[in-house]
Amino acid sequence: MTASAAADSLVSLAAREKRGGRLSTAAMLIGPATIFVVIGLLAPIVILFRYSLNQFVPGKLMVEALTIENYVLFFTDPYYTAALYRTLRVAVIVTALCLVLAIPLAYRLARTQSRFKNLLIMLVVLPLFVGNAVRAAGWMTVFGNKGFLNVTLQSLGLTTEPVVFMYTEFAVIVGILAVNLPYVVLTLQSVIEGIDRAVEEAAFSLGAGPFRMARRVLLPLALPGFAAGAIFCFILTMNAYATPVLLGGPQFVMMGPLVYVQFAAKSNWPFGAAISFVLMTVTLILTAAANLLVQRRYRS
Amino acid sequence: MSTPTSLRLSRRAALEGMAALAGASALGTLPVWGQPADKKIVLSTWGGDYAKLLTKHISKPVLAPKGWEVVNDEAQVVQRKAKTIAEKRLPKGTSDIQAFTATDVAEMTALDVLEQLDLTKLKNAKNVIKTFSIADSPYFSPHIYSGKVVLYNPKLIKDVPTGIDALWDPKNQGKVGIVDIQHVYTTMAAALVAGGKTGDFEKAKKSLLELKKLKPRFYPSNEALAQALQTEEVGLCIMWKARAVQWQNAGANILTVAPKEGLIAYVSGFTIPKNAPNRDGAYAFLDAALEPSVQEGFAVDMGYNPVVGNAKVAPELKARIGFTPDEEKLLVNPDLEFMAKRSAELKDFWDKEFKRA
Repeated sequence: MTASAAADSLVSLAAREKRGGRLSTAAMLIGPATIFVVIGLLAPIVILFRYSLNQFVPGKLMVEALTIENYVLFFTDPYYTAALYRTLRVAVIVTALCLVLAIPLAYRLARTQSRFKNLLIMLVVLPLFVGNAVRAAGWMTVFGNKGFLNVTLQSLGLTTEPVVFMYTEFAVIVGILAVNLPYVVLTLQSVIEGIDRAVEEAAFSLGAGPFRMARRVLLPLALPGFAAGAIFCFILTMNAYATPVLLGGPQFVMMGPLVYVQFAAKSNWPFGAAISFVLMTVTLILTAAANLLVQRRYRS
Repeated sequence: MSTPTSLRLSRRAALEGMAALAGASALGTLPVWGQPADKKIVLSTWGGDYAKLLTKHISKPVLAPKGWEVVNDEAQVVQRKAKTIAEKRLPKGTSDIQAFTATDVAEMTALDVLEQLDLTKLKNAKNVIKTFSIADSPYFSPHIYSGKVVLYNPKLIKDVPTGIDALWDPKNQGKVGIVDIQHVYTTMAAALVAGGKTGDFEKAKKSLLELKKLKPRFYPSNEALAQALQTEEVGLCIMWKARAVQWQNAGANILTVAPKEGLIAYVSGFTIPKNAPNRDGAYAFLDAALEPSVQEGFAVDMGYNPVVGNAKVAPELKARIGFTPDEEKLLVNPDLEFMAKRSAELKDFWDKEFKRA
């Protein structure tokens, strides 16, 4: 071996050791979080999936089996498929409304030069300090037969009899919208803040109006961020529990409460596990599809 | 400032000390909090007034002077049932006592998660009145009882109801309230209306589908129904007499009638999970719950009747919360065997056919 070859091999060894050192540092840094996710999320998901293939025998809780009958039952019983469609419908409506309401608010928050900007952001965050159930209780006082909304309508002479707001899809949509809106506003605001104000000004200087600028400049640049906010809102709605139970009432069944009923009220763990998987899979597929669609559009 | 030598602690010594402490805690030789572990009773129960009164009448005055510390684990019954079932495989569970109703006990007994009680350890067991078949269950120590009465608002319901069948009367359409979590007892009531016994599920189904045609209003909880009664959204339902008394005390304009079809008994009490960590504590609690003073306290504060013969309830109060000798003849027990075997089927029917809009 020549001296130069030996020197080369020493250099590459040192480089490999350096790389190895970086890798072990990286492994140490991501290790705790990975272990936490594996133990706290992946392992229960695997167990849950195994449960979903078991059989339910009343009085015995769960009988070991390898059957897809729980999944077949879900997709062949109109009661359960209706709950899935209802959940999807509410999730899509809430997501669309959230975006419509959040975009102007987030834009204003992102672009404001006001010294009260932090205060305005705190006002958006403030509802998150109150739990979902407490907020739903607040809505109950608004939607009740003798609640704020009905009393107002009647005192204005717009109605004579109480209008039924409680235990309706409308109440659930309003309730979830109020829960999700701050999350979406904050997500969109950070996305818009990341877009250079100069590109908007360039569009204006070239003669574009506000709507044209929003459509041709802001929206394409912010699209991935808007998609992230929408997906976040969609996932939260698909898995909503407290608001549908408290504002939807016993006859308005969404997937989250349906899972709970199977586990807790019927002790039917295999079917509860199967419904959980259907909910998770549908949410994942739709989320992935939306993501792909946005990426394709973004690239084009 | 230097640390005094006696207080200086090397890193090795600190680690050894912590390891010893952790080991001792794991072996259960050290108390985690408050009382030693063998003097602590974990009571798993409904929350709200009931839990507060258990503390007021049992934990503080009866058990605390004897050195017991009762820790409440409060949750709805469905969550507690699921937890007890989930803990079945563990050698040691997390609760010493589970508060259940008679129908819950039947279901949990079938799942083999409850301890068979040794009544010789309960000095007060001999005083339990034998009105209820559940009192004979070897897995259950009853605590309080009431009956399912017809509750109505005289302002909205002009004809005084005589039975549960008033809910099926087309004259009362739009005024009837149904509580979702009362699906078991409402199904039993429907069976009685159809002329059957509490476990006649087929009769109950037909009867409930008839009621559905009259479009009753559904409420998720007793509290939601109470609010609807208060705002006069509805004026007729079936409810525990004890609850009716509580709502009357709160000022609601309601009256009750013992239904001619039968007064379905509501009995709630306590069980010991098979893997309860502190059995002695659990038995101490069961016995304390049957003390006359405790039973009298619950009659006064909550409107439930005592299950022991030696409790003394003032005649005026008894007239409000209890039943006359004629009414007592109407008391019927829930069909517990049916509940043990077909509760999931019942809930399916309730959700998919009766309740579905």
